[in-house]
Amino acid sequence: MSTTTFEFTPENLREFGDILSRYPQPRAALLQVLHLAQEQNGYISEDVEAYVARLMNLPIVDIREVVTFYSLYFRRPMGRHHIRVCMSISCMLGDCDVIRDHLRTRLGVAPGGVTADGSFSWEAIPDCLGACELAPMMQLDGEYFGNLTPQKVDEILKKARLED
Amino acid sequence: MPTITIDGQQVVVDAATTVIQAAEKLGIYIPRYCYHPGLSIAGSCRLCMVEIEKMPKLQIACHTRVTDGMNVITSSDKVKQARRAMLEFLLIDHPLDCPVCDQSGECDLQNFYMEIGRYDSRFLENKIKRKKAFSIGPHVMLDQERCILCSRCVRFCDEVSKTNELGIFSRGDRSFVDLYPGKELANIYSGNVIDICPVGALTEKEFRFQCRVWYLQSQDSICNGCARGCNIQIHYNTARPYKSEGRRILRLKPRFNPYVNRWWICDEGRYGYEFINKNRIEFPYLRRGGKLDLTDWDTVIEEVPRALKTALEHYGPEGIGVIASPQLSNEDLYLIRKVFGELMGVSDIGFKNPWEKPGYQDDFLVRADKNPNTRGAEEIGLTTNVQTILESAATGRIKVLYIFQHNFDAPEALELLDSIPGIIYQGSNWNQTAERAHVVLPAATYAEKDGSFTNFEGRIQRFCRAVPPLEESKTDFEILSLVAEKLEFPLVYNHPLDLFMEWQGKSYAEMDGFGEMISEQLREANG
Amino acid sequence: MPIVKLVSEYFGNEQAKSLDWYRQNGGYEAARRAIFEMAPKQVTDEVIKSNLRGLGGAGFPTGKKWSFVPADDSKPKYLTVNADEAEPGTFKDRYILEWDPHRLIEGIIICSWAVGIHKAYIYVRGEYVRPYRILKAAVEEAYKEGILGEHVLGADFKLDVHIHRGAGAYICGEETGLLESLEGKKGWPRLKPPFPAIIGLFNCPTVINNVETLSHLRNIILKGGEWFADIGVDRNGGTRLFALSGRVKRPGVYELPMGTPMRELIYEHGDGIAGDRQLKAIIPGGASAPVLTADQVDIPMTFDDLAKVGSMLGSAGIVVMDESVCMVKAMHTIADFFAHESCGQCTPCRQGTGWVYRIVSRILDGHGSVDDMKTLESAKKNMSGTSICALSDGAAMAYGGFLSKFPEEFEYHIKHKKCDLQEKRMAVA
Repeated sequence: MSTTTFEFTPENLREFGDILSRYPQPRAALLQVLHLAQEQNGYISEDVEAYVARLMNLPIVDIREVVTFYSLYFRRPMGRHHIRVCMSISCMLGDCDVIRDHLRTRLGVAPGGVTADGSFSWEAIPDCLGACELAPMMQLDGEYFGNLTPQKVDEILKKARLED
Repeated sequence: MPTITIDGQQVVVDAATTVIQAAEKLGIYIPRYCYHPGLSIAGSCRLCMVEIEKMPKLQIACHTRVTDGMNVITSSDKVKQARRAMLEFLLIDHPLDCPVCDQSGECDLQNFYMEIGRYDSRFLENKIKRKKAFSIGPHVMLDQERCILCSRCVRFCDEVSKTNELGIFSRGDRSFVDLYPGKELANIYSGNVIDICPVGALTEKEFRFQCRVWYLQSQDSICNGCARGCNIQIHYNTARPYKSEGRRILRLKPRFNPYVNRWWICDEGRYGYEFINKNRIEFPYLRRGGKLDLTDWDTVIEEVPRALKTALEHYGPEGIGVIASPQLSNEDLYLIRKVFGELMGVSDIGFKNPWEKPGYQDDFLVRADKNPNTRGAEEIGLTTNVQTILESAATGRIKVLYIFQHNFDAPEALELLDSIPGIIYQGSNWNQTAERAHVVLPAATYAEKDGSFTNFEGRIQRFCRAVPPLEESKTDFEILSLVAEKLEFPLVYNHPLDLFMEWQGKSYAEMDGFGEMISEQLREANG
Repeated sequence: MPIVKLVSEYFGNEQAKSLDWYRQNGGYEAARRAIFEMAPKQVTDEVIKSNLRGLGGAGFPTGKKWSFVPADDSKPKYLTVNADEAEPGTFKDRYILEWDPHRLIEGIIICSWAVGIHKAYIYVRGEYVRPYRILKAAVEEAYKEGILGEHVLGADFKLDVHIHRGAGAYICGEETGLLESLEGKKGWPRLKPPFPAIIGLFNCPTVINNVETLSHLRNIILKGGEWFADIGVDRNGGTRLFALSGRVKRPGVYELPMGTPMRELIYEHGDGIAGDRQLKAIIPGGASAPVLTADQVDIPMTFDDLAKVGSMLGSAGIVVMDESVCMVKAMHTIADFFAHESCGQCTPCRQGTGWVYRIVSRILDGHGSVDDMKTLESAKKNMSGTSICALSDGAAMAYGGFLSKFPEEFEYHIKHKKCDLQEKRMAVA
């Protein structure tokens, strides 16, 4: 078991300083700091929470409250690529069920899971991702992919794997 | 100062008052979960909604400030319906734990349901499952399923104990209260979350499954754990002695006092009652042939006055020494001064244990002096140095040493005690001092008598007897009265109240319910 | 009515996000005029005249909102730009962020000048990664060129703009939920009063405006408030972006004058129902808007007209449903959303959204009970007017729309334990 404790890279520490400077109260920086930590660490581990709590002089329970409240912070390691399939009203009308079922078959894990080779993790979420004109759609890492068909999904997955 | 009308009754209040507070002034209790006067306003349970004229929606009484001319209705059908609705929402996922839940009988879900609920459940789904019955600290159990997410405990840890152990995690109906993993609710005020939890989510380990609350009786008292004198209720069970192994005192609860402890008490005080139940001196003892023999009151009530009388006759008052205790009540100390000081002329009367090191103190409730009545003893003037008294007894000048309640356990003290030939010990619990006495008189604890303590600020606070003295123990007042009677002293005190009246010039009934500062005249009179 | 391209003028134009191009095409002229030629109060008056209303969902008159901020200088004032677009069916702000970020920045400058604000935070939902990057580049460009910073456009007026990314919570689009999130906490909406105009961000007076609302300011200042008002109808000024999606042939963002009939949006601009099916129902303004039936399709799209029929224009996220859509499934999707997004702070919303979702799931699964309709009606009623914020009210309204307009579908599911519609798989063109 790894005993490394998390800490920001020198570059990220500089970024942290910049983030802090944007707000009159240090606590306000917390969401951005957690985004930064997740970018560096892949997910918010207990080590990350402990580090952020020390760095920002906040009770660690407050960090955990924020991490568990918001949907975008991962609390365990995710795949190299993370997929979020929209299951909201417009995508439902676009038969997103088909896309979800296809992904479940292709990836071989239930929503919330990580593929065995660690390449993908995914979720099927009721939150609207704000791209209803492209229904059914999904987000892969930072990008939106819409007007999906099972075929298109396969192409997107293939491309992502190739980039690895 | 605005005037508002609540349910047809008018009241004048300060401008910053909320409707829920104004209602309380009129004796109107508005049901609530998340509101607590000692914590910030959450406004999240929504139970305290009331109708306010000219406002179309119901408003929460805990957050709405009064305005002049406001007209509030707290019990219309509309309000009752809304309350019932909020209650129903909370009960849908609440587990049906009443038969096994300690809170039963003092649970605000039960209470409000009986008051405004009484509907048949129409919930057909599976209830949300969470962690049940796990320890979160040395004194506290958490059951997340029972939790109604009122956030009182979280706010307490943030605002009062300022230790930030608890949080509410996740979102929506997946929210739950918990510690950060690996942490503990171990601050010195942890027990207070049990008081403020309206339901059985946070319960006390010490009280777990011990006694149903409807078998408990309550008596107002004062904590004897330190010089703060937090106001408490003693919850005791004498009606069902077969329960909880015969322990009479089941728990202590803080009692509101705006000047002393507000709504709170520290864990040391809250859990410092076991000495009332355990390790008590229950019978009188007399040392014969080097060891303490069980005896009876008739014997010791002969023996003690005889020893005192003999000492007086042969050696005068200098032959007697008295070590009173800051654990004793003002009335006890006053009687000691009267009997020993005035009537016997003894001048060597002290009270302070010179080897007692100051304990932990914080900037909230806990005081370093772990005695409830040091100030009382000072005011009553029992100020001879105790070490000197012990030394005088060890060297033989003092022939009879009367020790009350103390536990001298420092090696130096024990050495002195070992070389004192005549020790009368009057106390409630066995300890190294009692074991060295020649006469042991079983005395009652503060829970078993009436009296008053004076806290470190000089506030005299009354406490009341909850349970009778255990076995054959007697109150210090009774014992001293018997001794005085045998010595043919003319005392006319029937009850500690009489002593208090003589000392303070007023009766308990005339005292402020929250205690009174010791009077200037009295201080002067005592010198 | 024809499409008017005012705020959407540069949608589809790759060059518009470059500061140089923006300036060469009249960009920042309105800001310059506001700062150098108009007193702050004049700007507010112009906005009041324009009848511009909050386009994030609440529809509150913008100028009036600005005027609530007290005039005194004792505390700094803040502007928070609500780019937490998360209302189901809504995607219009995303277009502004991706195609025309400088128009938003210009609107921020105009608003800040009018209200006396020197620091603005743009709260962008965490999922909008590409829009965030484009916006960030635009803000950096603006700083480099002296559009933002110590001397905005060279004037003695300081304005700092920071972008604050959200982390995935719809409730952070609620005004005070947004403020809490900006302050680094969970997005738990605050008790009101006090209102943000008095006690807002960091305890200071704060204006919260939607992305699109601010983006209209450029044109209002250049062409006048009256001009903008005249394009619209009584008390609903100007144009707005309508986000059309669902079972239409041409989903997308369409800018139309306020008061345009919904029929025109769906059949003309959206080119009608996909597969030429029959219209069945329309959600006119995001998830909280009670669903309309097909016979209501001629309604003029204004805040007031929709309010009159018991619905709302809200975020103008218009979701079209045809005859093959099961209303129980539709409600189930909406109920899932609300249950997932309830912050959990207060009893009626936390418990109500969860309960309704579980009941509708059970009905959809074929295990409905005869009492369910009554229970749903009661739960919905108890979620209205009893909570800390409008999410609960919105959810209740949404449930009410489905239950009152399509009760027979629910009753069929309950009685027959299945759906009476054949849901055909549709290949979306």
